[in-house]
Amino acid sequence: METLKELMARVLHIDAGELTDTASSETIASWDSFNWLMLVSEIEKNFSVQFAMDEVMGIKTYKDIKDALRAKGVTEGIGE
Amino acid sequence: MELHDYIRRSATLDNQACIKSVSIAFLSNFTITGLGETMQVLCHDDGIAAEVYTAPYAQYAQEIISEKSGLYRSSPDIIFIILEPENLLGDFYYFPYRMPPDDRKAFIEQKYAELEGLLMLLKSRTKAKIVLGNLALPTYSSRGIAEDKQEWGVKQAVQQFNIMLRSLCLNDPQLFLFDINQFYLQVGCDVACDPRMIYRGDMKISPLALVRLASTLMGYVFPLLALTRKCIVLDLDNTLWGGVIGEDGMDNIKLGPDKLGKPFLDFQKRLLELFERGIILAINSKNNYDDAIAVIRNHKYMLLREDMFAAMRINWDDKAKNMVALAEELNIGVDSFVFIDDDKSNRALIKEFLPEVKVLDLPADPCLYAKALEELHVFNLFSITDSDTNRGKQYVDQKKRSELEKTMPDLASFIKKLEIKIRIGNGDSAVIPRVAQLTKKTNQFNLTTQRYEEEDIAVFMESADYLVKYIDVEDRFGEYGLTGTAVVKRHDAEGYWEVDTFLLSCRILGKGIEFAFMQDILDEAAKASIKQVRATFIPTKKNAPAAGFLSECGFVNDTVEGEIQHYHVDIGKEKKREKMMEVKLWKH
Repeated sequence: METLKELMARVLHIDAGELTDTASSETIASWDSFNWLMLVSEIEKNFSVQFAMDEVMGIKTYKDIKDALRAKGVTEGIGE
Repeated sequence: MELHDYIRRSATLDNQACIKSVSIAFLSNFTITGLGETMQVLCHDDGIAAEVYTAPYAQYAQEIISEKSGLYRSSPDIIFIILEPENLLGDFYYFPYRMPPDDRKAFIEQKYAELEGLLMLLKSRTKAKIVLGNLALPTYSSRGIAEDKQEWGVKQAVQQFNIMLRSLCLNDPQLFLFDINQFYLQVGCDVACDPRMIYRGDMKISPLALVRLASTLMGYVFPLLALTRKCIVLDLDNTLWGGVIGEDGMDNIKLGPDKLGKPFLDFQKRLLELFERGIILAINSKNNYDDAIAVIRNHKYMLLREDMFAAMRINWDDKAKNMVALAEELNIGVDSFVFIDDDKSNRALIKEFLPEVKVLDLPADPCLYAKALEELHVFNLFSITDSDTNRGKQYVDQKKRSELEKTMPDLASFIKKLEIKIRIGNGDSAVIPRVAQLTKKTNQFNLTTQRYEEEDIAVFMESADYLVKYIDVEDRFGEYGLTGTAVVKRHDAEGYWEVDTFLLSCRILGKGIEFAFMQDILDEAAKASIKQVRATFIPTKKNAPAAGFLSECGFVNDTVEGEIQHYHVDIGKEKKREKMMEVKLWKH
């Protein structure tokens, strides 16, 4: 299993250091709407969770993703 | 690699080393983001520089109708149209049974007529090949198990739509049906269509399936660029049978109807079917020759026998060296080869030293061999002619001829002993697909390398200003089929003819056939009271075998205009040759 940071760095093709809590589609150029869908699929597969539509649409930042995963009971792979 | 990896790679492709280029356009009524990018990467990896245009989604009709659309500006060589039924059929898709059966039939026929109209318009505006996906069959009906008790139920309606599309494409050289239902069967519908991806991003085809779709559609790009593979070069141990013959012996290798042998048997069936379709088979294997040939000759369940292999290299030389020797023996380029070997290091060697060879990455488990072969899309042709289906056998015949040649004292007596018969024909429209195919595929013995579509040849045949000739060859070992063609432009009023195209498939070269064919053109010119025949030679990287031909026929070199060499011969001044074969008119 990849950590969230590794996974996002891979899919978005960025340095893991860019993933601060406030990182979002505003701050990372490759985080566009299409790659966001790819990310959601990869995260779902990696952490064996499923996001509801409002979660997919509501998540804006890296911290939002971590919070959403924690809310689904994920504890491994998202810590700092 | 996943879809996003392809998208990223597509942005950084360096196509400088590519030998071919293609312009591809996509029209669809749903989001296909990533499909074009993936095609670009797959093209690049096969040496093709691809320009891709993806029309704004849901605007496929506008793109076809407006003459100034991005579609036409992109001057595509091939256009893929992929439509999904929900958008196309509108309310009918959800509420088909609000209408009585007759109205449902009328509705579907009207929807089909609209699409046919668009396609006819598109055809009139482009010479591109048009590949049209059919409609995915609905997997749900409110009528449940009674669905197939309905006249013109929703499923039958879509099926009928698809049947009409298929008929439209059946005999049209420009239109091709892509059966998306077959594609969904291969990928698995639940994988290909994920409702969550549909609602999140209108992705009616999931990212995973889009990558597979791109790979499937490459099957249309290869024949478009004359990159169809002609020959499969096979390893033996653990490829055609399980185990190592030199260690396990004839009785212990795995091949036959039992559980362990069946994957290999079925794999051979697939290969045998490709051979019968005209794919050449060859062997490149590290074995003791006697061990291996004994299995090929004597094993009870071996399907691929010695007389199906056009050439064999069974020895301990390195496989790259063997591959080059096979190409020389068969007189085809290594870029016509597909290499199949279970051994990763052999595959790596070929990839490293002969990158033009297509190497199949055979899965480790033999149960998956046949499927891996089925998913290779490199043997496609737009239409399959008799000449194609005979090719595998023809190369085997060639092997027997070469063996005869070794025992012959001189070429002339060799040629006479071959008992060659050629038939020369003109004007029969049935040969158009094969003639066009020859102009597109023949690189070596080709004076001008003019590439023509079937439509072009049809125009020439009908025109009084052109003469289209073609030859059919056989000898005592078998038939070569239609293997040469010429297009002559008639300038009767000015007293001369001009050879626009003159080509022969390389497998009939070296027998004097080319001279007999040219003589036939000159004789016909004489009969028409023509005084002179003109011809040109345009050198390419590959047509050196044709370089001296015109001079050898007695043509005189006039001028050189850039690369183009102009020749002429006055009728009667050509170099006459000894008659070594039977030449007759081809009566259809």
